[in-house]
Amino acid sequence: MSCHGDHGQGLTAEWRESYGADYRDCWKSGCHGSDHPGNSFELPQAGVPALTRQGKLARFTNAHELQSYIHEKMPFFPTGFLTTGQSLELAAFILRENETLPDGLILDKTNSSAVSVHNKVTLPEDELPGSLLLGGVLILAAIGLVYRIKFTNAVPRNRPGFLYHLHPPRIPAKQSRFWYTLGTGGLSVFLMLVLLVTGLLEMYYFVPSPNQAAVSISVIKTLVPYGDLVRNLHFWSAQFLVIVMSVHLLRVVLTGAYAPPRRFNYLLGLGLLVLVLLFDFTGYVLRWDEGVQWALVVGTNLIKTIPGIGIGLYRFVMGGAGPGPATLIRFYAWHIFGLTLAVIILVTWHAFRVRRDGGIASAPPNSAESPRWITRFDLVRFEGLAMVIGIIVLLIVSLVVPAPTDQPISSFNNMTGSSQAPWFFLWVQQLLKWGNPFWLGIMVPLAVILLLGLFPYILPNAGKSELGRWLPRGNRAAQVLTVLIFVIILVLTVLGALSSKG
Amino acid sequence: MMKPSMSRRDFIILSTRVMLGAGALLGLGGLVRYFSHEPDQGPPSMFDLGDESSFSNGSRTLRSDIPAMIVNRNGKIAAYSLTCTHLGCTVEEDKESKGFRCPCHGSAFDADGKVLNGPAQDPLKELRVEITGENKLMVYTE
Repeated sequence: MSCHGDHGQGLTAEWRESYGADYRDCWKSGCHGSDHPGNSFELPQAGVPALTRQGKLARFTNAHELQSYIHEKMPFFPTGFLTTGQSLELAAFILRENETLPDGLILDKTNSSAVSVHNKVTLPEDELPGSLLLGGVLILAAIGLVYRIKFTNAVPRNRPGFLYHLHPPRIPAKQSRFWYTLGTGGLSVFLMLVLLVTGLLEMYYFVPSPNQAAVSISVIKTLVPYGDLVRNLHFWSAQFLVIVMSVHLLRVVLTGAYAPPRRFNYLLGLGLLVLVLLFDFTGYVLRWDEGVQWALVVGTNLIKTIPGIGIGLYRFVMGGAGPGPATLIRFYAWHIFGLTLAVIILVTWHAFRVRRDGGIASAPPNSAESPRWITRFDLVRFEGLAMVIGIIVLLIVSLVVPAPTDQPISSFNNMTGSSQAPWFFLWVQQLLKWGNPFWLGIMVPLAVILLLGLFPYILPNAGKSELGRWLPRGNRAAQVLTVLIFVIILVLTVLGALSSKG
Repeated sequence: MMKPSMSRRDFIILSTRVMLGAGALLGLGGLVRYFSHEPDQGPPSMFDLGDESSFSNGSRTLRSDIPAMIVNRNGKIAAYSLTCTHLGCTVEEDKESKGFRCPCHGSAFDADGKVLNGPAQDPLKELRVEITGENKLMVYTE
């Protein structure tokens, strides 16, 4: 600390006065001069800057910059032996001396970028009580809704409104039984709605520029009231969406439901799954922190390996010859609007085709003769209950498990963060370890999608009399192959997760 | 025993609605708090203009960063905000009259910031100035 004065004022004349007369000139005394015996260093001629008081720390705006500088450049001689923890503690100490360290904050490598060096920020109040209160109220509402569903004759007296009209007037009870449909289609739409709302909220604070992206996410997480909750909800909805849609796909194959006339709608659904994976990848990259830079570099370099169009496609995706501001803004545009538009169109089309092709899931034969029907009023009630339960589950997961973050990317030349792919691409990462990136990283995933899309067209389908139940004989071949593909992907994912951990 | 005025069923339906409404209100409250954070610090309100002796008697110094006109009249330093009191445009100095004119809507002010003609109603704001112990001139916009 003595270089920066006894209380951080810098190497002022006043401070040097406190030394003996022979030692006051730090540039000539021989203590720090180049002629000093062995392992010496020279103090900067411009002097040593102040850490506190007037003009302090002018080159830094946030605590992460201060901490990185300390980590890299301090102590002045010899440098480079501080651990991340020690440099964080030093940064926190300097902020506390300047009274700009927020009360109750333990500086870490992700929240530090939200903390200003020059202005004291205030942390939001604890979000847990509010979240728990909301969760509690919703649980009571869910219990009430369960009771309400029992009053099946509670049909509104007025003519059905907009929400009711989105549903068919009535459907056979056998067609919509939960253990047949699994509710995965509706659940996917619900998760998309949560993603739409939480994503919109994030847009009010997220800044899509390389210097600010990770910082603004840190601000959302650390400083914005309920910001951490909103981000966690967005993250977890996105992860669950991939899983729920995969289960939806498996359900459709394992019940043979894609048999004509539903073949085309099956393709629309497959397209939606691909779009959602692109959504997850672009959203992942928007973090622009050290946790994602490997995935960004490797994932996009894969495009280059495509013969002929690879380089052109890469430049179209990146907006330049490498990752930079244009890349971030392009991923942002896709994530916020391009993909959203495509998904809205496909979801609407998909839902329309479900109605046009005969309603939710494939109906069991003769189900229309069954005496048990579900009215649109009950359907809306079931969906309402499912949504309330869905929000409760998402709330709990989001309160318990935070979405990952890391410190801002410092450079693409010296990458230090985790090299693990996002979990939904771990299987591709595992494949890439075994050889040619074009064949294993591009052609194999494409072939998987192509195969899944072709099954209804090249393999035998379930007969009409077999529909409406699990595992019909008619499309056994497609069932076996699809499960095989899913198992292989699952095994590769596990292998990928284990090998990157070790 | 008194006959309840409300059936159990109606009570459950009503309380479910109340809970859903309370949930929605809580969510709305959270939303209001979510938007309460201001990422921007806002413009600085304190300006250090350095040694006060550089503003000599009779001088008029334009500081476009504040923006303000620093005037020394008979050894007394005053600062006039150059933000028009009409709708916030920055007024320009009128070299001939030593007054100010607003380029947006034509308000005119004299050298002391008093309104010569509208649409502005109020005179240019006189900013708080302070001379520190180290003879530094400080100007405060708030």
